[in-house]
Amino acid sequence: MADRAIKLLIIGESGVGKSSLIRRFVENKFDENHDVTIGMDFKSKVMNVDGIDYKVALWDTAGAERFRSLTPSFYRKALGAILVYDITNRDSLVKLEAWLAELDSYSDNPNIAIIVVGNKIDKDRVVDREEGRKFARKHRALFIETSAKCDQFVSDVFKEIVEKIVSSEYFGNGGGADSLDIANGNDNTAPSTCSC
Amino acid sequence: MEELLNDVVPQEDLERFEKKYHHEQELDGEVSTETKFEYAFCLVRSRYTNDIRKGIMILEELARLHPDGRRDYIYYLAFGNARIKNYTEGLKYCRAFLEIESNDQVRSLEEYIKKQSDKEIAKGMAVAGGAALVLGGILAIAMAKNNRNRDK
Repeated sequence: MADRAIKLLIIGESGVGKSSLIRRFVENKFDENHDVTIGMDFKSKVMNVDGIDYKVALWDTAGAERFRSLTPSFYRKALGAILVYDITNRDSLVKLEAWLAELDSYSDNPNIAIIVVGNKIDKDRVVDREEGRKFARKHRALFIETSAKCDQFVSDVFKEIVEKIVSSEYFGNGGGADSLDIANGNDNTAPSTCSC
Repeated sequence: MEELLNDVVPQEDLERFEKKYHHEQELDGEVSTETKFEYAFCLVRSRYTNDIRKGIMILEELARLHPDGRRDYIYYLAFGNARIKNYTEGLKYCRAFLEIESNDQVRSLEEYIKKQSDKEIAKGMAVAGGAALVLGGILAIAMAKNNRNRDK
């Protein structure tokens, strides 16, 4: 089981819905209140990909400024990063550049898989879908839009990034797992937006 | 919650913030709130009890003097106390936090501490029960011997 562990990081500005995405995915719950994460939080879930169970460790980091200098060690050994912004707040997308720079300098994995997530599609949009997609493409990241509140495409976030990780040639010996064919050509696919 | 509590601070992080702390202390005669917090944040995640205790002391001081960052200090006070199995203190801080603010993360920590402390109590009772059994056994043997002596 231990060697089937996948560490994922969730980063992005405060209030974009990082913890809500995790909570929806792991516990299928949503809380309208914004519980501000302190330092970092951890949740895990077993995911099955092609008949193999993976223990996905989700490290949720505080978006708050004061923890920036303290969280670098949490980037270590991460196989994937989920970068979240809020589609009602353009600044949260702009700031993802800085979060990516942080990821670049602290991650010890040059092949870290990245997915960009535009959250809150249940609300009135300010950031065009195309803008998010463009940002993701520029950084060779996967892209998806979600609503943690209405449970739209949340599980796809985790499914896509985990599938990308386990199908990667860098993923430590799959132990007989047939390789998946999603490594190429699947970037930027995301379900179309719809309101809930 | 267990993974989070078992996650130990990398040594280089602890050393880096320790150096920064002492550097400020020597240079300015006092340490900034930020540096104190950074150092304490590393200390409470150390593998050594003494480090954790030191971290708790710094956090207690910060919580007393700096109300604006209090939620962070109180959470890590609960966290540090949970790590050294100081469950009563840990629970106290969780409850203090939840009185002010609803928070899923703190609720999980509270639940975890409660469970652990119940376990400790059960263990304590088992030990006490075991001791009673042993004592009972010794008494039984003594009494049997006594009886045998009397039979002679």
